[in-house]
Amino acid sequence: MKISYYPGCTLKTKAKNLDKAAVASLEALGIEVEEIDRWNCCGAVYSLTADDLIHMVGPVRNLIRAKEQGADKLVTLCSMCYNTLARANKLMREDEVKRDTINRFMDDEIDYAGEVEVVHYLSLLEEQVGWEKLKEQVKVPLTDLKVGTYYGCTLQRPAEVGIEPFGSFELMSGMLTALGAEVVPFTAADKCCGSYQVLGSAPGENTAAANILNTANSVGIEALASSCPLCEYNLGKQQKQMLAREKISSSVPTYYFTQLLAVALGLDTEVCHFELNDDQSLEMLKSKNCLAAA
Amino acid sequence: MGYTPELKELIKRVEATRPERVAMARRNEHYPALTMAERETVLSKHHPDYQSDAKQEVKVGPNKGDVFQEGVARLLESKSIVRPGLVDLTKVDYETDVLVIGGGGAGTSAAIMAADGGCKVIIANKLRHGDSNTIMAEGGIQAATQEVDSPYYHFLDTIGGGHFTNQRDLVAALAKDAPLSIAWLESLGMMFNKHEDGRTVVRHCGGSSRKRLQSSGDMTGAEIMRVVRDEARNRADMITVLEFSPVIELLLDSDGKCAGGIMFNMETKEFSIVKAKAVVMATGGFGRLHVKGFATTNHYGATMDGVVMAYRAGIGNKSLHSTQYHPTGVAYPEQNVGLLITEKVRGLGAHVLNVNGEQFCFPLEPRDVESAELIQEAMEKGLGIMTPTGRVGLWLDSPMIEELHGPGTVRKELPAKFIQFERHGIDISKEPMLVYPTLHYQNGGINVNGDSETELAGLYGAGEVIGGVHGENRLMGNSLQDIITFGRRAGIGAAKYVKGGVEIKKLSLDHVVKFEQELADAGIENPAVAPIILPDYSTDEVAERRWPEALTEGTPGV
Amino acid sequence: MCEISKTPKVATGDRAILPEGARTIPIFVMGKQYEVPETLTIMKAMEFAGFRFLRGAGCRGGICGACPTVYRMAGDYKLHFGLACQTVVEPNMYLAQIPFFPANRAHYNIDEMGQAADAIHALYPELFRCVACNLCTKACPMDVDVLGYVSALKQGNIEKAARISFDCIQCGLCASRCMGEIPQYHVAQLARRVFARFIQPQAEHLKSRVSEIEAGKYDPMLEELSSMSNEDLEKRYVAREREPDMAEAGSWKPQDASHL
Repeated sequence: MKISYYPGCTLKTKAKNLDKAAVASLEALGIEVEEIDRWNCCGAVYSLTADDLIHMVGPVRNLIRAKEQGADKLVTLCSMCYNTLARANKLMREDEVKRDTINRFMDDEIDYAGEVEVVHYLSLLEEQVGWEKLKEQVKVPLTDLKVGTYYGCTLQRPAEVGIEPFGSFELMSGMLTALGAEVVPFTAADKCCGSYQVLGSAPGENTAAANILNTANSVGIEALASSCPLCEYNLGKQQKQMLAREKISSSVPTYYFTQLLAVALGLDTEVCHFELNDDQSLEMLKSKNCLAAA
Repeated sequence: MGYTPELKELIKRVEATRPERVAMARRNEHYPALTMAERETVLSKHHPDYQSDAKQEVKVGPNKGDVFQEGVARLLESKSIVRPGLVDLTKVDYETDVLVIGGGGAGTSAAIMAADGGCKVIIANKLRHGDSNTIMAEGGIQAATQEVDSPYYHFLDTIGGGHFTNQRDLVAALAKDAPLSIAWLESLGMMFNKHEDGRTVVRHCGGSSRKRLQSSGDMTGAEIMRVVRDEARNRADMITVLEFSPVIELLLDSDGKCAGGIMFNMETKEFSIVKAKAVVMATGGFGRLHVKGFATTNHYGATMDGVVMAYRAGIGNKSLHSTQYHPTGVAYPEQNVGLLITEKVRGLGAHVLNVNGEQFCFPLEPRDVESAELIQEAMEKGLGIMTPTGRVGLWLDSPMIEELHGPGTVRKELPAKFIQFERHGIDISKEPMLVYPTLHYQNGGINVNGDSETELAGLYGAGEVIGGVHGENRLMGNSLQDIITFGRRAGIGAAKYVKGGVEIKKLSLDHVVKFEQELADAGIENPAVAPIILPDYSTDEVAERRWPEALTEGTPGV
Repeated sequence: MCEISKTPKVATGDRAILPEGARTIPIFVMGKQYEVPETLTIMKAMEFAGFRFLRGAGCRGGICGACPTVYRMAGDYKLHFGLACQTVVEPNMYLAQIPFFPANRAHYNIDEMGQAADAIHALYPELFRCVACNLCTKACPMDVDVLGYVSALKQGNIEKAARISFDCIQCGLCASRCMGEIPQYHVAQLARRVFARFIQPQAEHLKSRVSEIEAGKYDPMLEELSSMSNEDLEKRYVAREREPDMAEAGSWKPQDASHL
């Protein structure tokens, strides 16, 4: 079986730490994926436009590229990219009228009818490796690290494309448990981080994000794992300012789940690009002895 | 697309003679080459440079007594677009430090260097900024950048290639500056073909002793033009670019210095006076004169404008009688007409054939001789092949390459040509090509010294418009280098001259008055009006329907 | 200035004639019908019909970008794009030239760009208005994957953008079709320059040659050659050793190294 990999724009620029750790981890686990050549934006940005078909053109073109590559599955990991690609794929599979319209509009491309399956990295990991096998491959268990699984909005909504049912956090919990961490449930795991609304408010004034961090703090979470660059921006990058404005009582290190995976697999920390996280993220892992000896 | 049924019918004659010709080639037998005496005959009878007919001695100006092609001579003996006495030179529309005439590679390089030297610059373009022969040069640019090479060898190769007719200070300047030009282009962000460590990839060209041709894909000139034009655009504070505004006459001042030009807005038909402390002439070559009706590889605007204007201002020309023809330009399909087919095709064994599929020449004579033999076969003997668009051509039997060297050779050895023809439905590994000599390069041009200065104070020259760099034969890759070397030198020199303190006195067209008086004194009747600015491709039928005789002069809107 | 030779009657220069028995076909220039010989390019067909180009003609060899043309065939919704000098007329072709299309161009200093894509993003924020409709690529007469290089730039991959866009002739058809109003060809130009200046390794051998020249190393040699008689020059010319064609870069050493 051939698996295409769709990284997403942010993962190539601001969120290399999400991308690199993911790819390295898959390699370490012996799963071969191939990045689509000449992919374009997943479509997240233009899904905000009113015309609900033109915004499908971008994501569908990516799916066509995967089909051209001869892939059965397309794996991606940014929550937003996954959501957009999966929804476009669903539309192409199920809505014959819209499918024809889109195929006709893109008459310079081969026809597409949802032949490729869009899967999230976590689902792929469970299916291809499984949590038992993953546990066997852990080199540096994340012992004593209390982790919160932050899903945000788009991993589970809408239900038809959710990676698991609303209210359930089995996939990330399963992975983190296999990595040796202690998963601490918290009620804000599927609350919105504030999304693009943050653009309209002053730095550190994002109440939605502050509520999530305060909730996490209140149950003793030491590390917040996510799979979305926008969530990471709101929860991680804005944290210092929230602290300065006393929106939150104390800080919580944030991570992409792929960074925790790579660390536990004993991979070189360089691949995790912790310099793109807040300093406290690396400090926390050091203090918990979660890093492979250099 | 592809060949018409009529042409396909004619190809059968080529196929009929092919087995015998291939067998002959396998026996290493060739159509006999000409003796030196026979060469002389065919050259003098049929090579445009050598033929004594259609040539004309110039009766006026600095080249008085010299013989040129009729079309060239006619423009040297031309009169101005404007009536000098009726032009009000006191109304100055633009004032600048340096006026650059022509925004190709040379002019744009000059503009950048002049701006670097602290000068305000105007580039007057006939068409768009960058429309030039520069943009069409594919092969590469010569420069002795490698350790086994040096300016010494670049000098020798260039002057030997030019049959030692080159002007030596120009050759020395070219050889010395060439690596500096490459370094300059690299610093501007030009994408050279490079090895992984950054070393430029170099190749041989005809007549080179060292690999010296650096390139940028197969569009080196276009890449140079894109980069220097983009750089000029970044300097809009110093460089003003005016398009569709050719300069049509130089202006001098009462001291006799060069002092600007008259510019013509081709869209609004308005004229304007540009006063400048220095002028760089960079108008390119004359391919679009279609000397003796030849197709050309040149740009639409290559009409000898700079030579014409400078001539009236007293600047003579060197080697202007010499034109580079390439024996095998494309004659069909129409969209490729005039484009080059590399000599390599004949090197691989392809025969040149007439309409009956018969050989009439040794395929690897020197370029000028080969061109003359093709012309003779088509025009004197009438054994050329007529194309549906009324051109004449001769067959170049490329499919025999496959028979001589094995199937797939054409595609492997001539990939660009294969694709170029395939795009128009012709498979040159199976069907022959139609070719005819094409006009490629103006070898000569206005006199300058190694610092790009003309004898007229304040007038500089660079690029194809100048003469002497290449003598009477130019090596591949030296034209792009000429453009950058002398473009830069002209810009640097002009800036230095301006910064040395130049005061422009009263503007004058007296040199035009004087020149036109000479024309009258020499008894030249009905001289052409020039520069001609653009070629006219109206057919005879269209020209007739414009009722030139019956039309009332001065009819509005016609 | 096209001179016409007497016999046989042939097309000279770039002027076409209609030989005996040749077929003509109807084309529609901006909606108006003209009969032109088949197999001509759009450019020459229009000249045959009596048009004289000011704008819309340039190198006439497919590389300058002066003659972008849009056309449709009668009865077909499909919009086609081509260069007038490279596209052959077809019967019932409805065409219009777009010799110029306005596009925003950012001013910058190449020396200050650096290799980070952020600087390009800052100059052209409209890059992020791309909706991947791909109309740019469909419009390109050079078959450049315009969406491919725009996407590469958004992803911060300047080298990829430079390489994909290399064949661009800056005709502007991409910009004319862009619903995001992106000046693709200007952005690509910037990307290529940034790549060549800051990402592609610089030529070290060239730097040493430049300093040798600036130190005057070759001036005596060139002066010597410049003042020689033609006979002596010819001797030197004949005595040159020729670098073998197949020699790998740097592998060949001439016997005489006195003029290197």
